[in-house]
Amino acid sequence: MNILFIEDDTIETMKLLRTVSKLESKHNITEAKNGEEAINFLKSDADLPDIILLDLNMPKMSGIEFLQILKKDDVMKYLPTIILTTSENRADLLECYKIGIAGYVLKPLKYDDYEQKIRKVLDYWETNELVKA
Amino acid sequence: MVLKFNLMFGKMDNKEVLLLKKALERQKKARFKAEQILENKSKELYEVARHLEASNARLENLICTKSNEIDGAFVNIIDPYVVMDLQFNVISMNASAKEFFGYNPGEEFVNLSQLVHPDYLDYNVNYMKNLLQYGTFNKYRSKLILKDKSVKLVEINGSLIYDRDKNPIAAQGIVRDITRDEEVKHLLSAQKKQLDIIVENSPLGIVLTNGNQIIRSNKTFENLIGYTELELKSLGVNAISTPDDVEESTTLLKKMQLGEIDNFTISKQYNCKDGTHLWAKTSVNVYKNEDDGIDYQVAMIEDISAQHELEVERKQLLEDLEKSNKGLQEYAHIVSHDLKSPLRSISALATWLYEDYKDVLDENGVNQLRMMQEKVESMDKLIVGILEYSTVSSETVNNTDVDVNQVIKEITDIIYIPDHVQVKIVKKLPTLFADKTKIHQLFQNFLSNAVVHIENEVGLVNIDFTETTTHWQFSIEDNGVGIPKEYHEKIFKIFQSVGNNERSTGIGLSIVKKVIDLYEGEVWLESVPGEGTTFYFTLKK
Repeated sequence: MNILFIEDDTIETMKLLRTVSKLESKHNITEAKNGEEAINFLKSDADLPDIILLDLNMPKMSGIEFLQILKKDDVMKYLPTIILTTSENRADLLECYKIGIAGYVLKPLKYDDYEQKIRKVLDYWETNELVKA
Repeated sequence: MVLKFNLMFGKMDNKEVLLLKKALERQKKARFKAEQILENKSKELYEVARHLEASNARLENLICTKSNEIDGAFVNIIDPYVVMDLQFNVISMNASAKEFFGYNPGEEFVNLSQLVHPDYLDYNVNYMKNLLQYGTFNKYRSKLILKDKSVKLVEINGSLIYDRDKNPIAAQGIVRDITRDEEVKHLLSAQKKQLDIIVENSPLGIVLTNGNQIIRSNKTFENLIGYTELELKSLGVNAISTPDDVEESTTLLKKMQLGEIDNFTISKQYNCKDGTHLWAKTSVNVYKNEDDGIDYQVAMIEDISAQHELEVERKQLLEDLEKSNKGLQEYAHIVSHDLKSPLRSISALATWLYEDYKDVLDENGVNQLRMMQEKVESMDKLIVGILEYSTVSSETVNNTDVDVNQVIKEITDIIYIPDHVQVKIVKKLPTLFADKTKIHQLFQNFLSNAVVHIENEVGLVNIDFTETTTHWQFSIEDNGVGIPKEYHEKIFKIFQSVGNNERSTGIGLSIVKKVIDLYEGEVWLESVPGEGTTFYFTLKK
């Protein structure tokens, strides 16, 4: 799968890459440090990703702002977007579902738990039929 | 004959002339005497005639006087009626007068001037002078001391009595006792004065109106609004009210006119003379005047500017508080996120350090990494706890039916309960009408607090309840380490933990306290160190 991973924290990125590297199926990860970078990438000539993993708390453009722009675009709005965050704030959760998301995953404290969660998410989306570019 | 006499005279001698002259003289004298007698006689006759005439006149006068007495405009047999001469000596009185004065002029001498009260003496003397000049008097006042020494205030209508020659000879009068009338009048005026004092000194503005027209206002209202009563009368109600208020009160006044309501109270603004506005509670009552058939309104105006200001201030404060609460909640979420993220990173790094370098790490190194993970874990718990605590009262309360038995089951499913500890529901717990999340938080904190502090071989946690008319009372009993008396209050304060257990953050019971406060309940405990603790708490039904 082509995955767009939007996350500003280096160690979080390391966590995802390490997790993905252990999986049998190979995934192509594109990293973006914030919403702005992600939009630029999506508007470039590069192929659109199959899914987006999105952090909420980021500098410059927050996850929710990015999500709003994404859902206003006639093409990009079909991209399944899964929130990956530490925020248990119910207001955030409701706002995200309101705008339109494909999932809301809380980052667990322990890395092992994290690995398991990510494995499940990616397994799930791999079993789905995706809108290929 | 003269001729003859002259002839004779010519022939007569002097003697004869002298005699003749004497005879003539005698004759003259006799005639004079006769004339004198005649005159005397006729004089006598004249005198008689005159005398007759005078007595006739006297008779006529007498008749005139009598008729005067009778014809007096004020004769009324019911009221006391008095006739006196000009020296105030009573000539006659009717029965009613005799009764009133207590005197009988037929039997005793009565002089009215001697009955006048000293206070009225001067005034009455002056009045009598006027009477002599003008002939009548109307509503002449006097205060009299009667025979029985009682003092009466009287009003007299009277007139002079004249003889035939229009000379005053007496006076007549009808006396009316106005003592009682005056007393009533005095009382009324005193009462009016008292009312006026109340109205003028009332802390409420009072205005009497007829529709838009202002009829009277008291000093308080004038002071409040800055206009004088005269200005208010020409301005009217609408001119001193704001357009919105005029509309509202016009509607209400109409209802009042139709008899649908007798009174109404509105909070309205008045336009003061100095351009400012006065916030006032205005109570309007209808007052129907039976005499003129007009509906009046009595308006009581209470200055509530201060209250209004307070109200506005209170609203502002509440808004600010809400904002700051929301801000605080937001802040708590952001802080917790910002604290949780690095913890996740540290945890991941520690995990990788072990995974990637377990071959080179000795037992000590592995142990340190494990301790690091534990510290990270307890810090994460602390952050979750603080977030929970800070959002207990600020989040909206969503009350539904909450089956406490179900809640306990959910809690025991998710929290860590050591193998040796048993959680038991003594009897079926009630269903509360409350916010499920908060009830969950409440019991979860009590239970996790109870289960971790048990060092006995067999740990027991019993949940029970009783019911009062207003509250549910729950108890959570354990056979744990117990809590020394000096900590009984302290443990409900944030960050206060009694045990040396690594698992307690010192937040749990302060969350409990917050939830119980929210439901107007109490929390307390009984504990014997080494034997166990029972927590009690109440929740309002």
